[in-house]
Amino acid sequence: MPMSVATATSDAVLRVRDLRVSFATRQGLVRAVDGLTLDVAPKEVVGIVGESGSGKSVAMYSVLGLVRDANAQITGSVEFEGREILGLSDKEMQPLRGGQIGMIFQDPMTALTPVYAVGRQIVEQIRQHTDMTKAQAKERAVELLAEVGIPDARRRVESFPHEFSGGMRQRVVIAMALSCNPRLLIADEPTTALDVTTQAQILDLMGRLRDTHGSSIVIITHDMGVIAEMADRVTVMYAGRPVESGPEVDIVRSPRHPYTWGLLGAVPRIGERSERLATIPGNVMSPLDVPVGCAFAPRCEYAMPACEARPEMRGEGHQHACWLSDEQRVAIRATPTKDAP
Amino acid sequence: MSDDVLLRATDVVKSFNVRGGKVGSKKVATAVNGVSLEILRGETLGIVGESGCGKSTLARCLVQLLPVTSGNIEFEGTTLTGLSRRQLRPFRRQMQLVFQDPYASLNPRRTVGDIVADPLRINKFGPDAQITERVKDLFVTVGLDPSYIQRYPHEFSGGQRQRIGIARSLALNPSLVIADEPVSALDVSVQAQVLNLMADLQDELKLTYLFIAHDLGVVRHVSDRVGVMYLGQLVELADADALYDEPLHPYTDALLSAVPQLNDGTEVERERIVLAGDVPDPAQRPGGCPFHPRCAYATDECRSVDPTLVEIRPRRFVACHHPLNA
Repeated sequence: MPMSVATATSDAVLRVRDLRVSFATRQGLVRAVDGLTLDVAPKEVVGIVGESGSGKSVAMYSVLGLVRDANAQITGSVEFEGREILGLSDKEMQPLRGGQIGMIFQDPMTALTPVYAVGRQIVEQIRQHTDMTKAQAKERAVELLAEVGIPDARRRVESFPHEFSGGMRQRVVIAMALSCNPRLLIADEPTTALDVTTQAQILDLMGRLRDTHGSSIVIITHDMGVIAEMADRVTVMYAGRPVESGPEVDIVRSPRHPYTWGLLGAVPRIGERSERLATIPGNVMSPLDVPVGCAFAPRCEYAMPACEARPEMRGEGHQHACWLSDEQRVAIRATPTKDAP
Repeated sequence: MSDDVLLRATDVVKSFNVRGGKVGSKKVATAVNGVSLEILRGETLGIVGESGCGKSTLARCLVQLLPVTSGNIEFEGTTLTGLSRRQLRPFRRQMQLVFQDPYASLNPRRTVGDIVADPLRINKFGPDAQITERVKDLFVTVGLDPSYIQRYPHEFSGGQRQRIGIARSLALNPSLVIADEPVSALDVSVQAQVLNLMADLQDELKLTYLFIAHDLGVVRHVSDRVGVMYLGQLVELADADALYDEPLHPYTDALLSAVPQLNDGTEVERERIVLAGDVPDPAQRPGGCPFHPRCAYATDECRSVDPTLVEIRPRRFVACHHPLNA
């Protein structure tokens, strides 16, 4: 189990410190990401989990330099292999994006153009980042398609995106993301649009590719099951802020933050049938109304006066941002469920 | 038990003409291929399957939103197939739908109060004041503030909109509610709220649900019995616990094993079966068992003979020549 603490600067592939992304809107300032800190070690899979509006995607888009809104303000630090990349120009980012940092998005059709055959698109990406000839790049494209499990790759390289099924298209996007042997792969809800058996194929594939290519992976998802399946470490986000982070086993088996409790309790399981699901009262909040104190307090059944001040992440390894004391937490968790920390 | 049957479908087939690859060529895609099932009064029957398996088309056929190509649908003993629109009207009141996308299923230009009042007005429920009263009651029933009736859909969150959709479906006191992926567009914490609400309403109003979803956890949570569809056919049908604990059809087994699990020590670990390939095109159905090209246990029999759904144990139906655990 790779353990990385704040001091593991030197070997971290990606090191994010106090990332803040805010947008000036007509209704007021939206703090989409509010103090995210994250380390990704080599070959490690880090999961970022949260509901819609939690800022998980915006965080990674700003890491990639893809937040271009004129009203956006981005502060903090993002180091890729020891080099600060926040604030680099598009031109400076280009060798990284699609080269050393691969990207996979939720909808494969947004990553592929419908007007060219997939092979041509992969070749273009390879030639952008390497000095391969057209023929070499084409050969490599065929290899990649075969590697991600597309049958009859030599023929399919000439097919257009619409000729593939959703799962096969996502494989094409993964092949493209891997074309330049990236050190880091950022996957934003890579399986959300897919059926469960196809999702199993894609997760299986991503796991194998991590082993063969040695890429680190950041996987953004709302699905705790996907996190449990893939991630070594997890950060749970709520309203733009990290609320809990640590090794996957610790988060799933002994979660500490009331939001994580709710998130895990609300998932209907296939292995058991409970009478009632745990719910988190209220709705995911509007990013304009996030309180100064703990962002989750308005929906938290354990909220107390202390929650009017913002809790910082505390703890070593398994961190959480909540004012409940260890004793209080143990007492709460001992009552309703079996898996008290 | 047969007197408890609210809706019975017998050998329902629905096919569509689709344009083929070449200009002018036509093919027939069979979206629902000979489905027979019974929905018992007061139960929740869950239907699971992956996209394109025909589960939504089946739902639309059952309530006669789509005419069936062949087959028979009975509701409380009356045959619906072949009835005229006028003759169907009293039955439509009894069968209501809740849709997946709470953004697309509510007209953005009308107030939510009007949207919920529509079925009441169309069915001449009573004078306006009485309708408004009923709408407010319905809002309370689904957990919304009745003072919201003058607002528009965009002022509500996804979960609240789905509550509005549910309120509309309940307006005429239906006996059967068909929910087609009612929570798949919602965040998990909100999804849990809506599922709990649907369970409460079922108890309170003695509703029967046909619950269609692709999420196996959700379906197990809500269903008494579960049917699994593949390529337009029902491949397995059983009590929820029995089906999840001991799947008999290889497809059910693969489907269950594919669900990512939390591994927090509370669940039985299943060995992952990764299916090769994709679901075939319903316009080019494989001969024999529809699942045979992806099935690890397929034999020559499977490639030539399409198995029928039979009750191999009490209350356990499976369409497979070589059921597991048998």
